[in-house]
Amino acid sequence: MALFILRRLGSAVGVIIALTVVVFILQKISHTDPVHALLGPGASQAAIHAESVKLGLNKPLLSQFFHYLDGLVHGNLGISYRTRRPVAADLVEFLPATAELALVALVMAIGLGALFGLLSVRGGIAARIFRVVMLLGASTPGYLVAFAGLVFLYNSLHILPATGEASPGGQFQTGFVIADNLLAGQLGGAWDGLVHAILPAFSIALVPAVSIGRVFKSSLEGTLRSDYVRTARAKGLSERRVVAFHAIRNSVGPALTMTGLQLGLMFAGVAVIEEIFAWPGIGYYTAQAIPVSDFPAISGVTLVLGAGYVLINALVDIAQSLADPRIKL
Amino acid sequence: MAITGIYQSGQVSGGRLSAKVSEVVAQNSKASLAAALLPVAVTLVALLVPVIAPYSPLVPAGPAFVPPGHSGFLLGTDSVGRDELSRVLYGMRASWFSALAVIASGLAIGVTVGAVAAVAGGWVDALLMRITDVFLSLPGPVLAIAVVAALGPGLVHTLIGVGIVWWPFYARIVRGEIRALAARPHLEAAKMSGVGPVRRTLRHLLPGTLPALVVTASLDIGNLVLTLAGLSFLGLGAPAPAPELGAMSARNLTFLLQDYWTAVAPGAGIVVLALVGNLAGDGLRNLMKDR
Repeated sequence: MALFILRRLGSAVGVIIALTVVVFILQKISHTDPVHALLGPGASQAAIHAESVKLGLNKPLLSQFFHYLDGLVHGNLGISYRTRRPVAADLVEFLPATAELALVALVMAIGLGALFGLLSVRGGIAARIFRVVMLLGASTPGYLVAFAGLVFLYNSLHILPATGEASPGGQFQTGFVIADNLLAGQLGGAWDGLVHAILPAFSIALVPAVSIGRVFKSSLEGTLRSDYVRTARAKGLSERRVVAFHAIRNSVGPALTMTGLQLGLMFAGVAVIEEIFAWPGIGYYTAQAIPVSDFPAISGVTLVLGAGYVLINALVDIAQSLADPRIKL
Repeated sequence: MAITGIYQSGQVSGGRLSAKVSEVVAQNSKASLAAALLPVAVTLVALLVPVIAPYSPLVPAGPAFVPPGHSGFLLGTDSVGRDELSRVLYGMRASWFSALAVIASGLAIGVTVGAVAAVAGGWVDALLMRITDVFLSLPGPVLAIAVVAALGPGLVHTLIGVGIVWWPFYARIVRGEIRALAARPHLEAAKMSGVGPVRRTLRHLLPGTLPALVVTASLDIGNLVLTLAGLSFLGLGAPAPAPELGAMSARNLTFLLQDYWTAVAPGAGIVVLALVGNLAGDGLRNLMKDR
């Protein structure tokens, strides 16, 4: 077991190193010249030369890479062309809001996915309706869901707020609005944060929920055909008990793997949704960086999210093999 | 379900039951076949868009913000009076062909990598599959955004960016299928009768990977349409006046609460394309399962 965990973490580290190579190469072929971007168009020849030397751009490529790697290890992700601040500092500021939104979205995706899976495995009218719902869910871009929510729930019915992660005057220390307020015992503030998160989180969660539901359904179907389930039925348990106490436990594995994978696929959606709802997270930060070609910001986001995704999936694998020792990936 | 119903109602005797069963199966596979052919129909329509579209997608055709269904504008007009229907049609055409282009490039890279790895074996296989694993274990959309940001915005760059992250899964499938096929008797027979490795791969191995590839690729269309729309929404696609569905929704977000159609109609176009992709994928999978 220890060996498996070590191997899995080792391969995760390998992938992260490969990611830094990819990002470094992208930085080299990037169409914006870092010296120009930092100094502006009117810089003198001498200033350009001085800045190139300072950035180490006159050195051979391989030593530039090691210099870059050395910076990464010390938390240096470069300077954003747009905010003129260290990218690392920007990310620390924007990451919590995204983490909170992603967490709410993840809970929704898992809940909806479980619902889709359980209801569509039962057969009958409900299953047919849910098949159509899932097909539509898998075919609708998150922003269209957000639009519908804004038009109906915000504009017509005034149930949900339109932008931001808290009402004006909301009290919170970091970007974790819900967590901060809960820790401070401010239930009202936490509720306000949750209400702000509902619509964006749902818009992000729908497509992953369908994927999770599909995988969960097919793995449930497989489990329900197995011998031990037949035994459970034969001893007279109700179908509900069979599913709830015997089948679900052995069917969540693939759904869990799918959930880990969906986390990575969610990000393009997160950026779009954060842009729509002016949600102050890294998706919003990325969306602002794209039009001005702020490559250091984008490469910082890529590295942090990529590394986080790789580690989360390694942890999902390890958790799975701890839960079911037969699994060796 | 339907079959037991027929049987219980006693309308069908034993002999006609089997006829009923094959009829139900035939109906199912007819529906699957129809679904599987949808992409062909959409491709034809997409080719004909310049003929079908009532107005130019770029030049104003009437007053701004005409609501849908008024003065001959089926989907209304946008903020500068361009016909929304024509823009959505052209946008759908661009989205559709973009998705197909990415699938084609993904298949080209994936099939090459997978086939070379499976046939060569040894260190070549190990190296190629390690690279594939690295790409598989990175978050695709994030990497695609970084690639496009490095190359600069634009439709071609977006297609390259997404294409770079869209092949590893195909490579995996091709390698797996080929290794399974290579152990089959007809391959041994081909080998013994002196067919060379290249010809063996092209004539005897690759055709066998086709069913799995076709199903996976068609299931991917819907996913790709959504991914590309997301990137276009973020401003990574073609520049301003081009009718691109994601970008149209993004730019008309400002008008969402007053003139909803300008932002919603392009999104509906995406839903149609993604639905076609998903239906076709499910249909093809059913057809392959029946065989």
